[in-house]
Parts: sequence; structure tokens; C-alpha cells
Amino acid sequence: MTKVRVAESVLKANDAVAHDNRRRMDAAGVVCVNMMSAPGSGKTTLLQKTIPMLAPLRCGVLVGDLQTTRDADRLSEATSQVMQINTGRGCHLSAKQVAEGLATLDLASIDLLFIENVGNMVCPVGFDLGEHGRVALLSVPEGADKVAKYPTLYQCADAVLLSKSDLVEHLEFDLDMVRSDLDHVTTTAPLILCSAKTGAGLDEWAAWARQFVKSVRAGT
Amino acid sequence: MHELSIAESLMRQIEQLAARHHATRVDGVEVETGVMRLVEHEALRSAFEVVSEGTIAQGARLAITDVPALARCRACGAEYAPGDRFDFACPSCRKADVDIVRGDDIILATVEMDVPVDEQVEGRDYA
Repeated sequence: MTKVRVAESVLKANDAVAHDNRRRMDAAGVVCVNMMSAPGSGKTTLLQKTIPMLAPLRCGVLVGDLQTTRDADRLSEATSQVMQINTGRGCHLSAKQVAEGLATLDLASIDLLFIENVGNMVCPVGFDLGEHGRVALLSVPEGADKVAKYPTLYQCADAVLLSKSDLVEHLEFDLDMVRSDLDHVTTTAPLILCSAKTGAGLDEWAAWARQFVKSVRAGT
Repeated sequence: MHELSIAESLMRQIEQLAARHHATRVDGVEVETGVMRLVEHEALRSAFEVVSEGTIAQGARLAITDVPALARCRACGAEYAPGDRFDFACPSCRKADVDIVRGDDIILATVEMDVPVDEQVEGRDYA
């Protein structure tokens, strides 16, 4: 019997494809944001509302779900550059699936590409897709304890959105708990309260997105 | 259950390695899982059993070792292990703005396999 030392990352195959995705988007001038959260936190509705607000930035969306094209159908009213990726049994998007998705889009007509990851607070975290930044959502009905329960999701985020914020007052939501838990996980990602229903906070979220595009393009 | 895609990736690496060494059988595999990757050992074990079925690694022992996280504060440079429940607040400056310097990867450490003596490569790093 022979024991061979390998010492190679198991994730390197995914990471290599992610690296190619990033180069491809950089070459086309596309800035990419990976949106991660539990299912039902309001990713799709938020994008439906904010894509028109972001004009003249031209947005595209790659959206991952196990089944159906429902999200892509909804988003196609906001942008023509949208592609649904069905992962079948997969609980997260992989860099390879994103590479295939990118091939279906006209990158020359996209400034900001959102990847709406499969709704899941654990599995997407470890898989680089080639994005430039990550946004983690927490919706008010999920409960204020989720940052402490799923810290790795929020630790890797460049911004944290508290969605459905119009429900804060109705659900006795402990906003202080979210803020204090976030202080232990990340003190660099801003917490943005927003409601796609009332429109509250959407300006702040759109401003963050515009600024993020600028900073990636400036290489900072 | 991201353990399934990790197991698939692991299996591809093992098959490539076994082919390169002209191995006839893979008996054992050692994997180091960084705690930041939230790999559930039993889930990875079951996933590996499924993806290795009918391959050269069917029935191979899978040893999984967790690698604790080590963070480096971007604000003050301090290196520290995060506290319970991934508390990343820096013990020196209280900011939670870190680079993860350890515990953020999944490593295929070693593979034990049967390699016919005449196929063993001289100078190869056999443990």
C-alpha cells in the first residue's frame, strides 16, 4: 500500500472556473454581485423594484432555483438580460453553472449583473462564482436571531439588507439584536433596511449598488 | 447538503491521482475541512459513499479532520481564533474586519492506494 501526499484544495476546480468568470466579466466591464439568503427573503421582488431605479446602469440577472423559471419570468419585465439556472438537486450555484449562464447573456449590454443564488443560508457561502461582491439578505419575518445562527453567510457579505423592513413594527422585531450580532461578525458591511413594498430604503440600497460598481471599476 | 458537490469534486481528484499512479485500488483518503466551510462530517461521509460506489475508491476509508479558523484583523493586524459561534470581533480593537488566514479551505491531504511496485515512480513523495 502506498500513501501519497496530495495537499490540494478540493475546491480548486470550482475556484478556477470562478476566476475565469471574473476575468470574462472584467473584460466586458461587468460588475457582479452575488445575492444570498434564505428562500422567501424577497430577493426577486427587491431586484424587480431596484433594477429600474438603477438606470442608466444596465442590469442583468442570473437566477438559481432547483426548479421552475418563475423568478426569471418575473424579472424579465425589468430586464431582457435574465437567465434562469435550474440546479435540479443542487442547493447552491456552482461557478460552472454561472459560466454556462454567462454564455447566454449579452455581457456588452450589462453593467451590473446580479446573481440570485439558490435560497439557502449555508451551502452557497463556500462557492466562489466569480462575483466581485456579496450581498446577504435577512427578511424581518425570519426573525432577528439569524445573524448569530448563520454567521458565515453574513461574515462574507459586503452589504447586509434587512428586507421587508415595513414589518419591523408589526412583528416586535429586535433590530438591536441584529445590529449587535452583526458587530461580532462584520463591522464593514453596512446594514440597509429596505422594503420593496413601501419603497423605504430602496434609495439607500440603490446608492450602495451604484457606489459598489464605481469602486470595482476603479479597482479599489 | 453542499457536501455532495464537495464529494463529487473530491472523487474527481482521487480518480485523476489514481490514474496518474496506475493504482489498482484506493484504500484510504484523508481530508482536512476548514470550519468556515461548514462541512458536516457524516453528510460528507455518506455523500462520498454514494459517489465512490463502483469506482476505484469504493469502500475506501475517509478520515476527516477539522481545521480551526484563524483570522487576521485588517484594522490592527492581530491574529486570533474567532470566539464561539464565529465571533470575529478583534480582541484588541473590537472591529470585525478580517481576512481568514486558516480554516477556509477543504484540502485533500493524502490518498492511500495500491500501486504495483513496477509502477512506483522514483523520487515521488510517498509518505
